[in-house]
Amino acid sequence: MANPIEAQGLRKVYRPRFGGRTVAALDGLDLAVEPGEVFGLLGPNGAGKTTTVKILLGLTRPTSGTARLFGRPASDPESRRRVGYLPEGHRFPGYLTARQTLSLFGRMSGVDSGVLERRIPALLERVRLADWADVRVKKFSKGMTQRLGLAAALVHEPDVLLLDEPTDGVDPVGRREIRDLLQAEAAQGRAILLNSHLLSEVERMCGRVAVLRSGRVAAQGRIEDLTASGTRYRLVATGVDEEVMAAYRDSGGSIERVNGHFDLTARDLDHVNALVDRLRASGARLQELSPVRSSLEDVFVGLVRGDEHERASVA
Amino acid sequence: MRAFAASVEEVFREAAARWTLIAYFALSSLFILIFACAVNLDIVNGALAGAKLFGRALEIGDSGLDVNRLVLGFESGFSGFLYFLGTFLALFATAHLVPRLQEKGTIDLYLSRPIGRVPLLLSRYVGGLLLAAANLVYLIGAMWLIVVWKTRVLHPRFLLSGAVILFTIAALLAFAFLVGVVTSSTGVSLMATYALFFFGAALATHDRIAAAVSTELSARIVQGLYWALPKTAELLQATVVLVAGGNAPDRLAKFNAFGVFGSTAAFAVAALALASWLFSRKDF
Repeated sequence: MANPIEAQGLRKVYRPRFGGRTVAALDGLDLAVEPGEVFGLLGPNGAGKTTTVKILLGLTRPTSGTARLFGRPASDPESRRRVGYLPEGHRFPGYLTARQTLSLFGRMSGVDSGVLERRIPALLERVRLADWADVRVKKFSKGMTQRLGLAAALVHEPDVLLLDEPTDGVDPVGRREIRDLLQAEAAQGRAILLNSHLLSEVERMCGRVAVLRSGRVAAQGRIEDLTASGTRYRLVATGVDEEVMAAYRDSGGSIERVNGHFDLTARDLDHVNALVDRLRASGARLQELSPVRSSLEDVFVGLVRGDEHERASVA
Repeated sequence: MRAFAASVEEVFREAAARWTLIAYFALSSLFILIFACAVNLDIVNGALAGAKLFGRALEIGDSGLDVNRLVLGFESGFSGFLYFLGTFLALFATAHLVPRLQEKGTIDLYLSRPIGRVPLLLSRYVGGLLLAAANLVYLIGAMWLIVVWKTRVLHPRFLLSGAVILFTIAALLAFAFLVGVVTSSTGVSLMATYALFFFGAALATHDRIAAAVSTELSARIVQGLYWALPKTAELLQATVVLVAGGNAPDRLAKFNAFGVFGSTAAFAVAALALASWLFSRKDF
């Protein structure tokens, strides 16, 4: 079965209308999101996140490469029958009520009016807007509009959700509710592509992420893999012999005593195990040995700064 | 089809919510009211014995006028006025349909649904035309009823003027959509379409203009423009002739109906096709 979202070699070059330099918003992007997966798309401003989402929705045509939703080309309107989209900075008609908004976009997605009549009250209840069902959208706060946007993305019960900053302007309680709602949707097998600047939100919600940099995927994978350093460890032990520490340093590792524990780096897992063997043999008692993880923010900033350094060195 | 119908319905809802519909019908009502109060006829045995317009008595003569002829003449002349009024009001009420759709934050919501870009654009066009048609039915229908009430003369041909006016609106709205797709500006769409209306009317004298220009190429361009653009002056003539029927003056009755309607329809189809093509290729 085809993946809900697939992009291969996506390139998008913007050419200024009256001369000037062309800008490559995307430069060979590959992406695949599986059913039931919450996938985060990260990157600094101008990295190509919104362009990727717009190409997936057929709002923008790629210069080259392919984008498919459930195997259908993104340019085919039918591919969007199973897609719910929450754009950033969306503007629902202010003269419509919440109920009318969901009815309009439900029918635009091909849902029967009778079905919508039954579905809309439950959906409004789910996003905590039931009491506001018949109030015009222009009276809504930013957070309420965002929750209505989420309901509009869900009104036709899509199999894929493309969400651009879904918790933007939402209070902490509302954020948690949206997070829970999205996780419930993913648990039902829906694929979710999340585009957000809030790395803590992404870290909590997503299984996998891709970090975009200058239109390319700079890093992609499971969050625990990206944040695991692989070479840094924290050791808590007593009776550690200075000679063992010196020998470890001679073997290419580093070990420092810091606030009652040791920070150490190793070449690989065998190198750590060899140290453990020597410590145990010297009579040390080990209480804890754990890999040190970076935060997603550390990884993100590291990747983005790396790009800035590259550009500076080229210049 | 469901999405298309929802989009058409949205045009009406938007017009109502933004006061466009109310202003559109209020202006028409105001005009109808003024007309109903302004015209006072005194009819005796099928002849007009006296008439007052805005309270001032009109010269009728001793023998009186045949009311049938009077109504026919009045209605055919008045349909020409309604041609301007109906067209201008309709364009004013519908020129925003594309620019507003293309606004950032709005277009994403519509295009992320399983509706093609061309059907989406055409649904707005159909919605705009239905809005204009509803107003024409109201405006022309009410005028006709007032004439029947004041004169007791039934002259249904007057109602046919609505068809020609709607045809003109359809051609001009197609052009407004084309400009709207390219510029995303309601103001520019309106200005360009009104300019086309007057330019098209001026080209009715294309033979005289072509004879007056200095080069053969210029003359050909003038003739080419005449055949390419909507013939707004001839459509006005067609409205009057359609209402007057066999009583239309000879100088008005002579025009190439097939050429006028055919070339204007071709312009509308071409403008709408170009607008659809550009809209379907646009990056948002």
